[in-house]
Amino acid sequence: MRFRSRGWLKVSEETFMGVPRGKIPWCPAIDYEKCDYCMECDEFCPHGAFERREGEEKRLVVAHPENCVVFCRVCARTCGPDALSFPDKTETLELIKRLREDEQDG
Amino acid sequence: MAEKNRLVVLPCNGMDKEAGAISRELALLLSEKGADVICPVLYQSKPKRYQKELESGKLLVIDGCKTGCASKLAREHGLKIAKKATIKELLKEENLKSGKSPVIGKEKLGLLPAWAERLEELEDIAAEEGGTCFTATVSFRRFAFDKFIFKVPEAGYFFNENDCWARVEGERARLGVSDYVQQSASDIIFFEPPEVGKELSMFDEAGSIESTKTALDIISPVSGTVTAVNGELVEAPELINSDPYVAGWAVEVELSDFESDRELLMDCAGYFDYLNEKVKKEYMKRYGGK
Repeated sequence: MRFRSRGWLKVSEETFMGVPRGKIPWCPAIDYEKCDYCMECDEFCPHGAFERREGEEKRLVVAHPENCVVFCRVCARTCGPDALSFPDKTETLELIKRLREDEQDG
Repeated sequence: MAEKNRLVVLPCNGMDKEAGAISRELALLLSEKGADVICPVLYQSKPKRYQKELESGKLLVIDGCKTGCASKLAREHGLKIAKKATIKELLKEENLKSGKSPVIGKEKLGLLPAWAERLEELEDIAAEEGGTCFTATVSFRRFAFDKFIFKVPEAGYFFNENDCWARVEGERARLGVSDYVQQSASDIIFFEPPEVGKELSMFDEAGSIESTKTALDIISPVSGTVTAVNGELVEAPELINSDPYVAGWAVEVELSDFESDRELLMDCAGYFDYLNEKVKKEYMKRYGGK
């Protein structure tokens, strides 16, 4: 399956739920043991989280983790060899709640 | 007059075949016994006319045949179907078939009073379709940006920053995606529902959708248990495009802790402002400058 990408869905919010996006460690991790560089995930991601690196050993990297939409995991489903993983959702939510409190405290 | 648990009958009202004519006749018999009757044609164009009856009564849908136009109409408007009958099936029980002519045969007419009584006593469909109705008419606020117009409901909905909504009524909620998702993704061609019974925590996937352009998960704004999925949406995913907030609902859940979920969500006014900003930012990013 192919998805046209780089469309109007491209978002990189500076904050997510009131927390600076940079403080939320949500993005895919590539297991290079499994990745076969089919590039389906990069083809799919409309937000441009991945970047291809011609001529390098790791020909695909998560170059823009801040572009990844928090709690979105759709790219992992495009991955045949199951090489993409995400942080634990519950832990991430707990972290966001704590950070929100910090933001509110000043 | 609207009165609690009064029967509200929505017949298929088919004009051109016997099964449809029978459904209409049955509805009229029931109305003589005190039920309210909804004209499907008028309901289609002016649903508000029947708002009072639908809010307080129990909906009985009478389909003529398997096409199920009356059920479809009810589902498209998010009505909770309490009881349901299909004329062709009732006929089958009597070893009869419905004719092509809209004139009702004599022997069939004779059966109708007994059927009317039976329908009055019909057991309610189990809770799978939800204990609440979600029938109230939704009104919207709109804003325009460039050539796009975005709609956000005025009240009763809660949003996360993944552009998914929860329409909350009592202990239940319906979930779906916002007008923004619908417009960004363009033509929705596929809806994969979650399993009924699935336990959702906040931000879990409550099904997924695919458009001609992209794919995305419906990220649940609330925690709860899936009690129903919108079967109509599986058949016609484009309902998300035509009516993302009402007929395009995806999943119904029994809420488990809305009090605490709510603290992390935007209400309608909050989402309206959020979306306004988001659209502006995105436009700038895409086209740069002004």
